[in-house]
Amino acid sequence: MKYMILTYASQRDYDAMSGKATGGSAWSAEDFAALGAFMEAFNRELAESGELVETRGLTAPVHARRIQLRNGVPAVTDGPYAETYEVLAGYWIVECESFDRATEIAARLANTPGPPGVAERAAADVRPIAESRAELDL
Amino acid sequence: MTDTRLEDLLRDLAPQVLGAVVRRYGHFDAAEDATQEAMLAAATRWPDGGVPDDPRAWLVTVASRRLTDLLRSEQARQRREDAVARWVLPEQRVAPPADSPPSELDDTLILLFMCCHPSLSPASQIALTLRVVGGLTTAEVARAFLVPEATMTRRITRAKQRIKESGIPFRMPPGAERAERLAAVLHVLYLIFNEGYASTSGPSLVRADLAAEAIRLARMVRRLLPDDGEVAGLLALMLLTDARRPARTGPGGELVPMAEQDRTAWDAGAIAEGVALITKALPRGPTGPYQLQAAIAAVHDEARAAEETDWPQIVALYELLMRISDNPVVALNHAVAVAMARGAPAGLELLEGLRADERLAGDHRLQAARAHLLEMTGDRAAAREAYRAAAEHANNLPQQRHLYARAARLSPDA
Repeated sequence: MKYMILTYASQRDYDAMSGKATGGSAWSAEDFAALGAFMEAFNRELAESGELVETRGLTAPVHARRIQLRNGVPAVTDGPYAETYEVLAGYWIVECESFDRATEIAARLANTPGPPGVAERAAADVRPIAESRAELDL
Repeated sequence: MTDTRLEDLLRDLAPQVLGAVVRRYGHFDAAEDATQEAMLAAATRWPDGGVPDDPRAWLVTVASRRLTDLLRSEQARQRREDAVARWVLPEQRVAPPADSPPSELDDTLILLFMCCHPSLSPASQIALTLRVVGGLTTAEVARAFLVPEATMTRRITRAKQRIKESGIPFRMPPGAERAERLAAVLHVLYLIFNEGYASTSGPSLVRADLAAEAIRLARMVRRLLPDDGEVAGLLALMLLTDARRPARTGPGGELVPMAEQDRTAWDAGAIAEGVALITKALPRGPTGPYQLQAAIAAVHDEARAAEETDWPQIVALYELLMRISDNPVVALNHAVAVAMARGAPAGLELLEGLRADERLAGDHRLQAARAHLLEMTGDRAAAREAYRAAAEHANNLPQQRHLYARAARLSPDA
């Protein structure tokens, strides 16, 4: 079975990571380097165990575009979210034996290093992936 | 034979074997599959059974046999599908060359020209070159470009199909066309190198391998065309740029600007080789863009300290480069070099002229260069604003962190 692990962040979280002064939890150079090292090791382990299908990180929500119908015409909005609104920040697709194993993998993300307070506010979701249209019709 | 040596041998032989098979039988797409299978057979059998006396001949024989099988099953399929197909002669049949028998090296070069054919998109050219000439597996190419293997398989299959449909004959492009086609080949190698060099995050190991692969392929092209100045220039440019890689990132993976790099960590061997190549190529002319970029890289690499950089010479080289290339980033680098040679105000004036260029609109590099020059003039407030503007425009976190840190250094209470 394949599962998707999702993590979230707001524009404010991204700004804090970019070094922009936000008044919130600022990321030091050491914090940022520790995060990079943690993610590299995490991904390498998943790749080596053969469970990693793919993983991506998304750029800051300010770069997002939203397309919506307005009066029947698709309209594009740049940077559509409020500063503190949490959106998808990155994901992993893993293929593993059970939902519990996927949950165990996601739980390791709780050890992600960062400045004080960040980990407490963070969350990861695990969701089983429907492999076919038939599964979605359930 | 060690695994690495066997791998190197196979990858050197791959394009030669494919070239020989295509020359004999045509059918580029099927021949490519057959050659991959022959390589796989060698990789599994040779470590235990030993390497045959003539490994190339062994591979050609195995690949030819496999091609015959593939064509037979393809014919059978076609007969089932279309009775008329029986009467169609193989369209890819190639006449034997009238002149002297071609060498294996010529075959490798022809393959390169085919892989970089202008009818293919750059992404396909790169993928096909790495697989067909570089001898990488589809899985490896997919990993290097961070796309799923199925996507890369599709991309390579489509590219091969396209070559088949275009009816490109398996021969060297004729005189006039050749220079243009060679330029396309060099551009593809340059893109592969940049793909490997520019990436600093995530699966960095795989991507550094891409830079090494580009250098390996450029060396190979140089062996085939030893008198071409641009081939020498491209190889020199890669070596001189790659030489700085050990000093280019800090312990936390952050980018270190050239002026602050530990120059003792630069690869002296690569620099010596690059400098020798470009010194030999330049006086022979005509001077193309790769030679000029290599010459600029050489001037940087030869300075033992950032302050010893020969900026007037770099300015002169950028001016030559601007005459043959209408690239706003070249003009941007020129402006920075002018600032270093003649003072920040002269550089800022040139940057003002570039702000109207739409191709640089929203590019953080223009703002970052402005910020740097403003800082040199001592206008801390304006420099701080420009660094912040550059950070807003930058699209990746390490760059943003670098630019915000610069801005913070200039704040009134810092």
